[in-house]
Amino acid sequence: MKRSHLLAAVLTLCLTVPAMAFAAPSVKVGNILPLSGPSASVGQQGKQAREMAVEEINAAGGIKSLGGAKIELLYADSKSDPNVGVTEAERFINTEKVHLITGAWNSGVTYPTTAVAERYGVPYLVPVSVRDTITERGFKNVFRIAAKDSWWTRDQFTFLKDMQKEFGGTLSTVAFVYENGDWGTGFAAQWKELVKASGMQVVLDEPYSSSSTDLTPLVNKIRRAKPDVLLLVSNAADAILLTNTLADYKVSPKVILGSGGGHADPTFLSACGANARYVFDIVEWEADVNKPGAKEANEKYRARYGTNLTGEAVDAYVAMYVLADALERAGSLDPAAIRKALAETDYKTGPGMIVTYDAIKFDESGQNRNAALAIVQINDLGKGLERITVWPKAARRTGYTPVFPMPKK
Amino acid sequence: MTQQKFKRNCLIAVTLAAFALPLAVRSATYLHILIILYLYAYMTTTWNLVGGFAGVLPLGHSVFVGIGAYTSTILWLQYGISPWIGMLVGAVLAAGVGYLIGKPTLKMRGAYFALSTMAFVEGIRVMVENIDMLGPLKLNGPRGLNIPPLQAGEGSFWAFQFASKEPYYYIILTMLVAVLAMTSAISRSKMGYYLKSGGEDPDAAQALGVNVARYKVTAMAISSFLTALAGTFLAQLTLFIYPKSVLTLDLSFELAFIALIGGRGSIAGPIIGALLLRPVTEFSRIYFSSSLPGLHLIILGVVLIVVMLYQPRGLTEPLLRIFDRLAARFATTPPDSPDTPDTPALPGIPVAPGAPATASPREERP
Amino acid sequence: MDPVFLAQDCINGVLMGLIYGLVALGLTLIFGVLKVINFAHGSFLMVGMYVAYWTVTLSGLSPYPALVIIIPAMFLFGYWVQHLLIRPIFIAEKNVREPITVIIVTTGLWYVLDNLALLVFGPDYRALHPNPLKGQMLEMGEIFVSVPKLYGAMATLATAGGLHLFLQHTRLGRAVRATSLDREAASLMGIGQWKIFNIAFGIGTAVAGISGAVLTPFYNVYPTVGIPFDIKSFVIVVLGGLGSIWGALVGGVIIGLIESIGPNFMTSTWTEGIVYALFLLVLFVKPSGLFGQKQDW
Repeated sequence: MKRSHLLAAVLTLCLTVPAMAFAAPSVKVGNILPLSGPSASVGQQGKQAREMAVEEINAAGGIKSLGGAKIELLYADSKSDPNVGVTEAERFINTEKVHLITGAWNSGVTYPTTAVAERYGVPYLVPVSVRDTITERGFKNVFRIAAKDSWWTRDQFTFLKDMQKEFGGTLSTVAFVYENGDWGTGFAAQWKELVKASGMQVVLDEPYSSSSTDLTPLVNKIRRAKPDVLLLVSNAADAILLTNTLADYKVSPKVILGSGGGHADPTFLSACGANARYVFDIVEWEADVNKPGAKEANEKYRARYGTNLTGEAVDAYVAMYVLADALERAGSLDPAAIRKALAETDYKTGPGMIVTYDAIKFDESGQNRNAALAIVQINDLGKGLERITVWPKAARRTGYTPVFPMPKK
Repeated sequence: MTQQKFKRNCLIAVTLAAFALPLAVRSATYLHILIILYLYAYMTTTWNLVGGFAGVLPLGHSVFVGIGAYTSTILWLQYGISPWIGMLVGAVLAAGVGYLIGKPTLKMRGAYFALSTMAFVEGIRVMVENIDMLGPLKLNGPRGLNIPPLQAGEGSFWAFQFASKEPYYYIILTMLVAVLAMTSAISRSKMGYYLKSGGEDPDAAQALGVNVARYKVTAMAISSFLTALAGTFLAQLTLFIYPKSVLTLDLSFELAFIALIGGRGSIAGPIIGALLLRPVTEFSRIYFSSSLPGLHLIILGVVLIVVMLYQPRGLTEPLLRIFDRLAARFATTPPDSPDTPDTPALPGIPVAPGAPATASPREERP
Repeated sequence: MDPVFLAQDCINGVLMGLIYGLVALGLTLIFGVLKVINFAHGSFLMVGMYVAYWTVTLSGLSPYPALVIIIPAMFLFGYWVQHLLIRPIFIAEKNVREPITVIIVTTGLWYVLDNLALLVFGPDYRALHPNPLKGQMLEMGEIFVSVPKLYGAMATLATAGGLHLFLQHTRLGRAVRATSLDREAASLMGIGQWKIFNIAFGIGTAVAGISGAVLTPFYNVYPTVGIPFDIKSFVIVVLGGLGSIWGALVGGVIIGLIESIGPNFMTSTWTEGIVYALFLLVLFVKPSGLFGQKQDW
């Protein structure tokens, strides 16, 4: 070929080779989420929250101890199917060679996929899945940010006790109404234990199918049982249908307490409207939490994606920052080093720290020991329906007194 | 060599290559994908005994997968019985259930049979989801059953758990080859012949005294037995089963789709169908699901529609014709004399009702 | 058991059951004429619900007046699905009475429609705005009756009545009935078989559109909303007898009553099992269903 071409080629080579040597490696994080199927809505939220966090981290210079390496997010759709999740986990580890995995929202998918990661020694950060046993198997590579579901149920009962103490009156009867899947039956099993110490009598124990076409028979059963407290575990479609039907049939317990999930779904408020008023819900986070940066993060998310951050989205958001922090301290992409850095996490300040509690610190089983929950009440204070933090008392929004018991319809 | 010899040699070569594959492919991910592929091909082949040979459309076959999986898992978790034994127990149980389901339903016409098999699998799923303890047996409802993994890096034949993918690969490949041989033998046996005639012209068959119904039920029982073996394998591979994973309409439908796209009555049909469909669904999920969720299902739906519109008998026939042409080109001696029996020398040739015994231009059904 | 509670449950069971019957009506019509079971029926219902949702949102009409748009739109949709997808299969499998291939094609259609809706509309749960019927109840002492369901039940009876009149007293309707009874004889009589099939499919789909309009005031719209109704429709259609209009309504009411009264004796998750058990019982004992025609079997 012509000499000038040869010269150009050699020059280009000389420039790119050193450039490649100086280019920082990127950190690959594999994320297993339900992007289609029944949990698609929450899967999408998890994806959006991660993207927002990683954009911020990369824009701020990436992981400086790795030469400014950027975090690269890869996604796999689990379709809420554990078998698919396992295949994807294996693919992430063996083919894509990710350095870290996060996921998988559905406890049923997280449980086996963390086992896969443990087998290969790849650190796995669980932002949301609550099933207790995920961090109770003696695994070394699994870390969880969210509270275990036994803490959720324990806090629900503590809330009820505190409300009675603060406002007087007694709650003597309780109804358990829960979706018939893994999550609902898990909660119900724990409620049945916790209720023994509470002095309340169980007047209804009713699992129901999340995809029911008609919840009126269920509502009539609740109506007849006349419980003081209605404890619910619902996915989004049934939470909406149930709330509307309960209002239609004028069912008036003293307290309606949801368990996050469907009740925390962004479309719950708009779909139920006034029917959702005074309902309590337990969550990891709420947009009015008194933490620097929380409001701004929420505004930014809302501007981009149209809805508020939910507790689960916040867990995903802060998970990315925890990963970045661990990578900074590890200073290497060696899995053992990353794992060690994660285990030593003591994340207190930083843009991601918008959770309600003060520090993210993992205990020996990988569980974030500080994960705390809050209870909100849905109410309209003149600016439209919103979720207002009411418990623990120290976290309560200033100036708001919870409405307890619910006014009769 | 003759055409037939060439085809036979090809088949042997492919089988040997499949057994030798793990020596070349070391990636656990690809082995895993192949294992799942063989598993689906296996389940579809056993499905084919009812759906292809008996000529009806079972859409609830995953109930047998579920029975196999739950039986061996419960026996292992509660009584420490090896899953190999549990596998056989589950298979016998499934055969019994298959017989009980088959007897009344196989008399029905196509769509009704399909609907009743769907009702069975859904009904049993509802039952398992609602029951925590069935007498002394723990079903654990919707939370499913977890098989605790052995220590990392250890495997045990007795416990049917292995540290690497290779043993699983060989087990499922052996099962697949065995079941293909079995299907081929059945298709050439008296039962296969009666099933074929029962499918083509039930009135004539009955007039000749052939008890078609009895053979259909037998086929169902055999199919259930074999399908349940896959259930145990699946349970041991994933170490976690729950009602919506093994007792689901989705799985039943997928088996039917693979067989239909491959070619219902043929022996190669399930393999070809699995080879075509599984990668399409896996890869479209891998590449598209984060940007366009659900696209892999749209692709599956479109493939189904297009294949059913243009090749309702499945893709095996046209593919085999290509294979025949290749064989003809490579054959150096003329084919055997015309006196050779009409039975197909190669398991790949369709034996479906109404299908030609040798490759020929596609005919309309008479 | 308290008679007031029983009355409450019966009323809900009948109303909801009639609405289930309406959903199943489209399916049974298509089977009666074409002898095909449309596995995409749930997806058609979903399409009907989205069409109702968008018509109301964009035009401000409330769902029942919006039917003037919904019905023709769904009719055309069904007409063309039959013409483009199902007709070629019929032609290819001319002598088979109920082509099983159609089941597969409609299943493929179901996957495509549901996931297309997911892609285009997203997974969100949509509630109807404006919704003048939202939450309206008639209260008679302890007994509450849901007004949107009452409207829905009346719509069911009107639709069933209208179809009955159409099939019995109009020329086109009689042609449809003739084709369903004996395809070949009808075509020998000069009745255009394909046109009838297209029309029947169109009508069945239009009825799915009416069901969509009936459900949206009290039920949320999302891509997979059709699936639980789909399975229920099959059960109802078999129970009532494929092809029978009144069978669909009676079958629907039976299911509605089981669902409403059953929970007094067991948890609602078990009533699902009872429905399947009943389904199988009917299939074994009287497969032609309550009102079905013997000659189908």
